[in-house]
Amino acid sequence: MRTLLPWAVAAVVLALVPLWVQSPYALHIFILLFIAIALGESWNVIGGFAGQYSVGHAAWYGLGAYGAFILLQRKAIAPWFGVWVAVAAAVIVALAVGWITFRLRGPYFVLASIAVAEIIRLAALNWKELTNGAEGILAADVPPLRLGGTVITDWNSKTPYYYMGLAMALFCIAVNFLVKRSKLGYYLQAIREDQDAAHSLGIPLTLSKNTALAISAACTALAGSFAAFYVGFIEPQGVFGIEVSIQMVLTCIIGGIGTVAGPVIGAVVVVLLSEALRASLSSAHLLVYGVLVIIVILTMPDGFVGFIAQRLRRKAAPA
Amino acid sequence: MAVFLQSALSGILIGGVYALTGIGLTLIFGVMRVINFAQGELVMVGMYCTFWLFVLAGIDPFLSVVLTMPALFLLGALLQRTLINRVLDALPQNQILLTIGIGLVLSNTAMLVFTSDYRILSTSYSSSSVALGVIRLSTPLLFCFLITAVITAALYWFLVKTDTGHAIRATAQDRDAAQLMGVNVRYMGVLAFGLGSALAGAAGALVAPIYYIYPQVGGAFTLKAFVVVVLGGMGSIIGAALGGILIGMSESLAAVYIAADMKDLCVYVIFLLVLLLKPSGLLGKSRM
Repeated sequence: MRTLLPWAVAAVVLALVPLWVQSPYALHIFILLFIAIALGESWNVIGGFAGQYSVGHAAWYGLGAYGAFILLQRKAIAPWFGVWVAVAAAVIVALAVGWITFRLRGPYFVLASIAVAEIIRLAALNWKELTNGAEGILAADVPPLRLGGTVITDWNSKTPYYYMGLAMALFCIAVNFLVKRSKLGYYLQAIREDQDAAHSLGIPLTLSKNTALAISAACTALAGSFAAFYVGFIEPQGVFGIEVSIQMVLTCIIGGIGTVAGPVIGAVVVVLLSEALRASLSSAHLLVYGVLVIIVILTMPDGFVGFIAQRLRRKAAPA
Repeated sequence: MAVFLQSALSGILIGGVYALTGIGLTLIFGVMRVINFAQGELVMVGMYCTFWLFVLAGIDPFLSVVLTMPALFLLGALLQRTLINRVLDALPQNQILLTIGIGLVLSNTAMLVFTSDYRILSTSYSSSSVALGVIRLSTPLLFCFLITAVITAALYWFLVKTDTGHAIRATAQDRDAAQLMGVNVRYMGVLAFGLGSALAGAAGALVAPIYYIYPQVGGAFTLKAFVVVVLGGMGSIIGAALGGILIGMSESLAAVYIAADMKDLCVYVIFLLVLLLKPSGLLGKSRM
């Protein structure tokens, strides 16, 4: 309960923000932050808890984005229904891929995950009838969200996206909490620490990893389709490109992997720094990620969370 | 038949470049057990060096290999000494992330300095070709392959015949044993990373007249280098050379017989199949 209190307070404060912050730019930064948090937490389930460093999560992000976009455009299915179909599709593909690639370990798994995302990207690029190829898809008008007869929002300001993003980020954080304290979470952490030892204790390796991947892919696809609707445009390189996967991984690494707070802190650092340097870096904004990850790996391998925790412990118990 | 021969031969020629980047990657992996995700970005740096040497000093891209290789050797040695060296005992995942970070810094710095414009290096012989019976081979590709072959042969001779080469191979075979035999394994790491980078630089110089030059071109080369190395067997130089040629060929044959847009897709599918069916690669057991 005590660990949940700060989260609840933060959630309430963030929910009140749009009441006194009107600037669309400030809301935009918050929305970017929510997306980064959701993506970081999503990756954390498989990368952080289970130690399976997938650098191919762009596959699930892109499937979520493309699934919801195509359903809206072709079948006129509203996003809040289409998203769930897209999430289901991403989970099904993820399970098929996981079933094949989870027999690989360490660097080989990393390489296989990249290859899978590249295959899906190239398929999206070339299946022009469905995806419109490299030209991408511009979001058709998103129908207003109604409850009964009343229109809740028509999506014309940033506020509905703000609340949607906040809800999504909180959902992903909650998923991490639940996974971490569940039996599955302990299985995953045992696999991360020593796969062979975990196996010999009777932990079902492939089943645990696949469950984690399914959860992770579902959250990623959800965040991917939300981000796609927020931007309003998708194209294969933008949603399936390796940069998307790398950003997810680095958000976690910078914050501290395998912790619930890590991706949140990583997202705050990365989003704020990227935004602060955007004018001087323009399209080279990934420089921030590159420099940060080099510093983090060399000086604080457990990320900001590990670094701060270590400092606190040192203060609490002076030698 | 002519079409088959034509595309197979062009595939072998471009495969030489893939082999060169792959050999660099496998050399680094063999000696330090670090998978260098920045290999393609080093190729990109080599391409820009060649481009500017050509534009500013008028040096022919194929001659500039003698300048880009030492330059990239120094860059690689510097990266190894300052960054990679400090994570040799860290988790493999952290090593990978560090090299990803280095790659991001290289490509984004290139974007800041050179902008993301696509540049083309065109020489007097860029579009000329050599006739060989019914088939025609592009002159730059042919030059590219010949120089690749010379560099690979020279590297092989260096590793097999010289004392330093022996020391590098000994380090790759067993780091501790090599150290006990008096090999300076730290220095071998610097040397291997320098050599691996120099090979990437050479590949960059050689493809500069053939490819578009832009800051993100490296990613494609990194992935191809992995495919080549995994296909040949991690740590095997002959395997990487063979893997490069095979990937070049399958790419070019897939472009002709399946669809031009599908060639990369085919390469990655082959890659996944090799990873799953024979993860040790074609020549996986022997190292170097």
